[in-house]
Amino acid sequence: MKTSKVIELIEIRKVIMTVIMLFFGILMIVPFLWMLSTSLKSPSEVFIYPIKWIPEAFNFSHHIRIWSGDHSFVTYYLNSLKVSIASTIGAVFLSALAAYGFARIEFKGRNTLFMVYLSMMMIPPQVLFVPKFLMFDWIGIYNTHWALILPGMFTIFGVFMMRQFFMSVPYEISEAAFIDGAGHVRIFFHLILPLAKPALATLAIIDFSWHWNDYENALVFLIDNSLYTVPLGLQTFILENTVDYNGMMAAASAGILPMIIIFILGQRYIVQGISNSAVKG
Amino acid sequence: MIITIQERWGMMMNKNWMRRQQRLGYLFIGPNMLGVLLFFIIPAFYSLYLVFTDYQFMKPDKNFVGLANIERLLHDELFYTAMLNTVIFLLAVPISIGLAFVVATVLNQSVYFKKLLRGLYFLPYITSGVAIAFVWMLLFQPNQGPINGFLRSIGIANPPGWLSTIETSMFAIDIIWVWFMLGYNMIIYLAALQEISSELLEAARIDGANRWQTIRKIIFPLVSPTTFLLLITGLIMTVKTFGIIQAITQGGPGNSTTILSLFVYQHAFRYYDMSYAATISWALFIFILVITMIQWWGQKRWVHY
Amino acid sequence: MRKMKMLTMVVSLLVITSMLAACGGNNSGTAEKDSNKGADTSTIKLVMWGGVPPESGPQEVVDNWNAANADIQVEYVRYVNDDDGNLKLDTALLTGQSIDLYVSYTMSNIQKRVDAGVALDLTSRLGEYNIDEKMGPDAKLWQLDGTYYGMPTKKNASFVALNQNALEKANLKIPKEWTWDEYKEYAKILNQDFDYGLVQSTVSFMDPLDSVLENIGYTKADGSSNMDNEYTVKWLEISNEMMTVDKSTPTLGEQLTSKMPVENMFLGGEAAMLSIGEWLIRSSNNLDEYPRDFKIAFAPIPRLLENSEDFITSGGLGDFISVNAKSKNQDAAWKFLQWYADGGMAPMAAGGRLPSSKDMDASVALDNLLGDKANTYDVDSLKYVLFEDTTPTFVRNLAQEVIDLRTQEYEKYFLGGQNAQDAAANMAKHHNKFINK
Repeated sequence: MKTSKVIELIEIRKVIMTVIMLFFGILMIVPFLWMLSTSLKSPSEVFIYPIKWIPEAFNFSHHIRIWSGDHSFVTYYLNSLKVSIASTIGAVFLSALAAYGFARIEFKGRNTLFMVYLSMMMIPPQVLFVPKFLMFDWIGIYNTHWALILPGMFTIFGVFMMRQFFMSVPYEISEAAFIDGAGHVRIFFHLILPLAKPALATLAIIDFSWHWNDYENALVFLIDNSLYTVPLGLQTFILENTVDYNGMMAAASAGILPMIIIFILGQRYIVQGISNSAVKG
Repeated sequence: MIITIQERWGMMMNKNWMRRQQRLGYLFIGPNMLGVLLFFIIPAFYSLYLVFTDYQFMKPDKNFVGLANIERLLHDELFYTAMLNTVIFLLAVPISIGLAFVVATVLNQSVYFKKLLRGLYFLPYITSGVAIAFVWMLLFQPNQGPINGFLRSIGIANPPGWLSTIETSMFAIDIIWVWFMLGYNMIIYLAALQEISSELLEAARIDGANRWQTIRKIIFPLVSPTTFLLLITGLIMTVKTFGIIQAITQGGPGNSTTILSLFVYQHAFRYYDMSYAATISWALFIFILVITMIQWWGQKRWVHY
Repeated sequence: MRKMKMLTMVVSLLVITSMLAACGGNNSGTAEKDSNKGADTSTIKLVMWGGVPPESGPQEVVDNWNAANADIQVEYVRYVNDDDGNLKLDTALLTGQSIDLYVSYTMSNIQKRVDAGVALDLTSRLGEYNIDEKMGPDAKLWQLDGTYYGMPTKKNASFVALNQNALEKANLKIPKEWTWDEYKEYAKILNQDFDYGLVQSTVSFMDPLDSVLENIGYTKADGSSNMDNEYTVKWLEISNEMMTVDKSTPTLGEQLTSKMPVENMFLGGEAAMLSIGEWLIRSSNNLDEYPRDFKIAFAPIPRLLENSEDFITSGGLGDFISVNAKSKNQDAAWKFLQWYADGGMAPMAAGGRLPSSKDMDASVALDNLLGDKANTYDVDSLKYVLFEDTTPTFVRNLAQEVIDLRTQEYEKYFLGGQNAQDAAANMAKHHNKFINK
């Protein structure tokens, strides 16, 4: 009897907590709900106060029109996918590689080099734009997707994060491998990398969201409409003196979808992944 | 740790092989280093060089001007305003981390729908851009927006003007930023919390510690390295942000939301004054560096490894 | 074994490096091919960049041209006319992308493009097309150092759009000239039946300041800034009274931070007067999206100065189109530009763009502008503000940084951060700093 009462009490508390968290959780996504509802409204309903959360008539025309026509979002979507996937794969692999070097191999100048890396994280990106722009023009990748993918493959945050993870992997593991005669290359590919799957997934999700939402680089380095990515495509809804909010919100809500899919796929990895990399600081 | 392993290796292995293995370090870092050199270090040095010139984007020639840009910066009132605004903006970082800690501890314990809830709180972080900026503008609308509507309904006759007044605009931006960063901080905390063994918490309960004591004396110290990591990376990320402010207020009203990074943006991309933008950037760099160093020194007091 | 691993490592590195190299080479190759495409064949391909969305007229313009000129095919590319969009255009111009013609919308933008050497000096071509003669005296406002680096093609119009029904109900006349005091009075009276008596587009917000400065000079005799003149203070105080005492116009803070859709408000009957420009016509012609049950009348912009003879109003010409000095097809581009200015641009009228060339007949232009919606306007007053009003006009020619600093100061004032005298003094202070730089 007694235990069942305790369980009951715990259950009730759990329900209450869930309700409270759900309430705040829904508050968190209010802006998205508005986005979605605006994408289904008619233009004149956008600015009406008090805000209409549910449109008078569901108007799917905005969703339809962004997927059809000459420069439909299909192109932008595919471009974004191409750029984001390529950058993310490159970034995750190269970060892991470098992070292993920084975390598990003692070589001359390692710590100095790492400090240089860290300090580079602090430079405002706007100021790197002119030299990057001159460089890209010179190598001839300006106005190609490479102008996004190539620099996108290098992330200092990624190196930092993966390093934290590798440092927390017990050294006994590599030690045993060394005794068996394995070198760093083998240890990295056969031991550490499989162990790091969760951390790699975490980095992939975070990195992907950066590339997916990257507006500044795409703005400056892409000229042809056929190369545009989704964030750049959203700009086309800015008309001369007004903004086509219905179209923009339709495209923007569709733009979140891939991120949600990636998040759901990687969710279980995220928790495990960051735990290992963060706890040891 | 590393040294003892090395000593053991030394005993076990041929020295030459060891040295070769160490040199592999450069190979591991090499590819990444190449990119960092090309896309960060060289551009950074170039921008440092610009500090001493009068380079205007679109103008073909530039001259060496010595310290003129630095002098201009030190006499620029807006620079100090931007600095102050940046400091106010940074307040969002600890607040978001604190809230995230609370949310994570609650979500880690007894709630249903953990996956769904995590998703809800994480959602703001994975989106960004114009669309969201616009929604916030509507929510904050002083007379008819839902936030002030709510405040009035609970009896606050004169709710703040949020983005529309000089005094409150920066704080409104802070709220948006807390909202944005919350999910990211939370998910990393959640991860750290998984590492705390349930036996430890059980033991504390048996010893008669209440919920608050458990959090303060056990959980908080155990996640302090995570807090430290979040604080460092959060401040760096925040100080570099300008897109969201550019989309919402463009630094206004007046110059009440002009933070340093936006100030850089304006000079670089609006006035094309690249040399001055570079000068502000390097000031911003020093600003972050100092903050990071202070944290680094201060960590001994509260971070427990 | 170890050597094998070593080899894998080296190979993978090589793969990465060659990948980096390959993509560089590859793409520059295709880029070259693209830009040569036009030169290879007999058809010349022109690219024109402008800020107007293609569906608002430009697409129809180039389609018309392309149908009639098989040998010169024009492609229209739209850029967003804001900081980011102009940056995009400028980087494209600097890297020598194939752009043959482009539209600049402000003096400070065209100045940068001239500095960069990407705007063709048209002096030697004026024999074929005399810009001064075709476009009238206002064209000179767009000269830089006495040279045309392009030509303005449309007539700018700033005006106050009025809800005629409301005006009649309140027994108010449609003004042909008025002062700010009268303007304020109108707003106050009309405010009774509306949320606001007056709303202003942010674009036209600062026009009164420049209007005065154009008359009395931006600098005093001693070369220092004239921005702290008494009219600045007057404008600040009148506007502030309208916002806070009469409540006949929205406070600036509210307008800015909610991106107030002033056109929607006026057309939706929430505001009785709207200070705006010719682009209103595009929305006001669209009765499906913006249904309304009133006629729109038009009044000129009110003046701050006492004497109507001193008044210079915002206007002049706009849509300044340049030929890229790096273009390989300058002759073809120039040919297209003349055609465009002399009537080719007619389809743009539906978007509120009136050609400035004297070859275009005013009544035809007006027909193009209003289409079948003419009966929803008070055409006489529109004709007056567009064609008959002889008030001299100006095009703002002030550095962007000075404009921004000035804006910040009046925003601070309207939001209660400082008094009007200080605001004016600070504007002058910033301006002086800039003059002395």
